[in-house]
Amino acid sequence: MRIKINTKEYEAKDGEMILDVCRRNGIQVPTLCSIPKFHEGVCRICMVENGGRLTTSCNVKASEGMEVVTESEDVSKARRINLELLWADHAGKCSTCKKNQRCELQNLAISQKIENFHFVPRKEEMTDSENLDLLKDNRSRVVVDDGNACLTRTTELCVECRRCINVCPTKELSFNHRAGDTVVGTAYEKSLDCIFCGQCVKNCPTGAITDKNDLTKIMIDLADLKKMAIALIDPAVLESVAFEHPEIDSRGKLISALKGIGFEKVFDLGFGMELALENMTQEIKKSSKNNLLLNHCPSFNLFVKKYYPQFAKNILTVAHPDELTADFLKTEFAKKEKINSEDLVVISLSSCVAKKKEKGKNLDYVITVRELGRIIRQKNLKLKDIKESDFSSGLAVKDEKIKSITRTGGMAEMLAKKLKVKYIVADGVSQIKNILRDLEKGRVETKIIEAMVCEGGCVNGGGQARKL
Amino acid sequence: MKKETKIITKNWGQIDPNEIDDSIEVGGYQALEKFIHKMTPVLALEEIKLSGLCGRGGAGFPTGMKLESVQKEKSKEKYFICNLDESEPGTYKDRSIVDNDPHMLLEGVIIESLIVGARKAFVYVNGNYQRQIEILQRAVEQAQEKRILGEKILGSRYSLEVEIFAGAGAYICGEETALINSIEGNRGEPKSRPPFPTQVGLFGKPTAVNNAETVANIPWIISNGGKKYAAIGSKKSAGTKLFIVNGSVKNPDVFEAPLGTKLSDLIEKYAGGMQKGKNFWFAQVGGSSGRLVLEKDLVRKLEYDREAKVPLGSGAILVVDKTVDIHELLLSWMSFFHRESCGKCVPCREGTFRLWEIAKRLQDGQVSERDVAAIKDILWTLSNTTFCPLGKFAATAFGDAISNFQKEIYKLSR
Repeated sequence: MRIKINTKEYEAKDGEMILDVCRRNGIQVPTLCSIPKFHEGVCRICMVENGGRLTTSCNVKASEGMEVVTESEDVSKARRINLELLWADHAGKCSTCKKNQRCELQNLAISQKIENFHFVPRKEEMTDSENLDLLKDNRSRVVVDDGNACLTRTTELCVECRRCINVCPTKELSFNHRAGDTVVGTAYEKSLDCIFCGQCVKNCPTGAITDKNDLTKIMIDLADLKKMAIALIDPAVLESVAFEHPEIDSRGKLISALKGIGFEKVFDLGFGMELALENMTQEIKKSSKNNLLLNHCPSFNLFVKKYYPQFAKNILTVAHPDELTADFLKTEFAKKEKINSEDLVVISLSSCVAKKKEKGKNLDYVITVRELGRIIRQKNLKLKDIKESDFSSGLAVKDEKIKSITRTGGMAEMLAKKLKVKYIVADGVSQIKNILRDLEKGRVETKIIEAMVCEGGCVNGGGQARKL
Repeated sequence: MKKETKIITKNWGQIDPNEIDDSIEVGGYQALEKFIHKMTPVLALEEIKLSGLCGRGGAGFPTGMKLESVQKEKSKEKYFICNLDESEPGTYKDRSIVDNDPHMLLEGVIIESLIVGARKAFVYVNGNYQRQIEILQRAVEQAQEKRILGEKILGSRYSLEVEIFAGAGAYICGEETALINSIEGNRGEPKSRPPFPTQVGLFGKPTAVNNAETVANIPWIISNGGKKYAAIGSKKSAGTKLFIVNGSVKNPDVFEAPLGTKLSDLIEKYAGGMQKGKNFWFAQVGGSSGRLVLEKDLVRKLEYDREAKVPLGSGAILVVDKTVDIHELLLSWMSFFHRESCGKCVPCREGTFRLWEIAKRLQDGQVSERDVAAIKDILWTLSNTTFCPLGKFAATAFGDAISNFQKEIYKLSR
C-alpha cells in the first residue's frame, strides 16, 4: 500500500507500523519506549500527525491513503512537553551516572533541544532544608535493588518505559503501585533473584538498570604498576564493541584500546574455550547418563536450578572458559613469567552478565562491553588514530573454529562430531521450557542438550552494547 | 410535571432486592421468557438496534452496533461483561440499580449474553461496593435455583454462567480494555486499540462490554419493542437516563428522566431547585471528568450527541453555588485524577501529578508565572497525547475552570 509522509509517497508493507516505514526511508522520528518487537506506545514521544490528529507512530499500523506529518508545531510541542515531564521525574544526575553519554533520554533532550525545564524535579537529591520542606510530598518512591552480583536497579533513574518488563524472559519485573508512584519492581519488592541473562540491562534506555561491578577498584588495579592486568577477549564481544565506540571496529583495535587503558597482556578466550571443549568431551565420555545438559551458558544453569531442580544433576560440571584460562594464568603462566600469582589481575571482557554470578576465585572480574566503554570514556582514551595490535603471545588457539560456540548450537555440534552422539539444541527461554517440559514427561531421549538463554547465543548476550 | 416514563426505576421501592419472587411478581424475567420462546438472537438484536439505545457509561456508543459485531464473530467462545465499576466521584446510578432492582440487571445480562452467543458472563463490580456484591451474589444464586441461570435456561437449549467479579476499585478499570486486563489477572491498565474487544477481548475472545445502566434497559426493550423505546427521549437520543443531581440543590438524588431533558428542568423540577440562600454558579455535567455549564447554558438539552458541547458522560450533575471555593474544587478533581491515573503513559502519569501539585500551590496562593505556563502545557498534552481517554477527562474540568474563572483562580496569587 501507499502512504504519504511529509507530502512524499512511500510504500508500506502490510502490518507495518508508521514508525517502521519512516525509519526504512531515513525519516527521523524520536522514540524512547519502543524497541523491536515491543511497541508499547507509553512514552508519547514518537508522536506524529495523522490526518491532522496527533497519534503515536510506533504502535499505529500504516494503512492505505494515510497522510502522515512527522514535523509540525503540534508534534514538536507534544514531544517537548512530554519529554520535559519525563525529565522532571528523572534524577538528572548525568555527570555521575553510569550511562552518561550512552543514555537515550539524555540524547533525546539534546536532539529535541530541551532547555527550559518547567517542572520541579521529583527525584533529585535535596540537601537544602527549605527546598526539602517545599517538596516534601513531591518525592517519588525510589527503590534501589543492589542485592545480587550481576546488576543494580534504581528507580531513581527509571523512565517507566517497560522495556525491561517486556524483554525479561522469565517475567521477573512488573509495575508496582500506580499513578505518580508507579515503579518497576519485583513481586513484593523482593531483591531480584533471576537467571541474570542481562537483557534488561542491555535494553534499559537510562541508568536505571546497570551492570554491577566495582569499577573504581578495577581502575586502581589497572593503574597499579606492581600488578599485571590481563584481559581475556570473548570473541562474541567483537559483534557489539563498535556500538560503544565506533572507532573500535576490529579485533586489532580492541586489543590496542585495552592496552591503552592499562592492560599489559591481552589474550584470546579461544584458548579457554578449547580447554572447556576438551573437558566436556572427557566428562561426557565418562558419563553413562543420557540427557546431559551442557553448562557453558551460566543463565541456563541458573534457570535449571531455579525452575527444574530435578535436572540439576544432569548439568555438566566443567568450569567456564574464562575460569579455565584464569586458572592456567595464575598457575603455569605465573610460574613461567616468574610473577607472583597474587599480582595478576585477570579480567574477562564478556558478552555475558550471568557470568559475574558464576565466576570462581581465580577470575578477578567479568566486565561487559558497556563497562569497557565506560572505562574508556573515564580514562578519556583517544581512539581517533588507534592502530591495530596482536594478541600477547603465550596462549595459542589451535583452531579458530572453536569460536562458533558463541552461537547457539556451536558447542553441541562440535561435541557431537567428536563423540558421535545425538544432541538437541534449545535457543531462548521458550524453547528451553519446551525441552525441559518434554524431559520431565520422558518424551525426550538424547545424549546431550545444549541451551542458550539469549536468543542466538552469546553474540546476542545481555552484556553486549546496543546500537542507540 | 408530565407523567414520568419509568423504565429502570419502575420497580424501585416496591420490591425486596434480596427476593427473586418479589421481582417475578412485578414482571421480572418475562422479557427473558419472551426472548427464549418467541425470539431468536438476531431478531432480538434487531429490536435493540431499532431502539437506538446508546451506551450509558459515558461514550454513548450505539449498543446495537456493539452487540452486532460480537454476534457476527465466528468464535465458539465469547464473553459478555456488565461494567459495574462505577467510580466516577458523585456517580451512584449503577449502585442504585443493584440496591433497588438487581434482577432487572441480571435479566439484562442474561438476554445480552444469549444475544451475542456468550456462555459465560461477568459482572465486574467496583470492589468498594461490598453490599452490592452480596446482593448480586444472592440474585445469581436465586436465579440458578429457579433454573433461570445455568444449564438449559428455562428448559431451552441456552446455557449461561454468570460470575460476579469484584475489582479492586480502580477508576481506570471502568475503561473496557483495562477492565478486561483486570479480569484476566493483569494490571488494570488500558490496551491499545485496534484490535477492539469486540474482536479480541477477554482471554483473546470476542467480548461485549456494556455499562450496567445500558444492560438494565434491555428487558424493557425486549418486552415492549424497540420502536416504543425509540419514541421516548429526544430526536438524537432515545430512552430515559438516570441522572444524579448533587451539590447545592434541595433534594440531591437519582432521577430517571427522558433524554433531552433540559438541565434547568433537572435542577428545578426534579431536584427541587437550589437550597435556600444559595445562588447558582455553575454545574458540572458528567462527574469529575465532566464539563462546566454556566447559567446561560442551563437551557441546554442533555442527550447523547457527538457534536454536543456538553457531553452527558455518566449523567452525574454537580451543582455548585457561589459560596464554594474553586481552589478546593480544583484540588479535589486533581487529587482524584493524580491518584487514579494508572501510570502507563507519560503525559497522564506525570501531567496529573504536576497539576495536583500546582492545584495545591494555587490553594496556598503560591502560584508562580512558571506554573501558569505549565498549566497550559499540561492541559494541552493531556487532551492531545494520552494513551486512553482518562488523560483527556483529567483536563476537561480543570481546563474549563481555568478558562472561565481565571480571575477567581489566580486571585490569591502573589
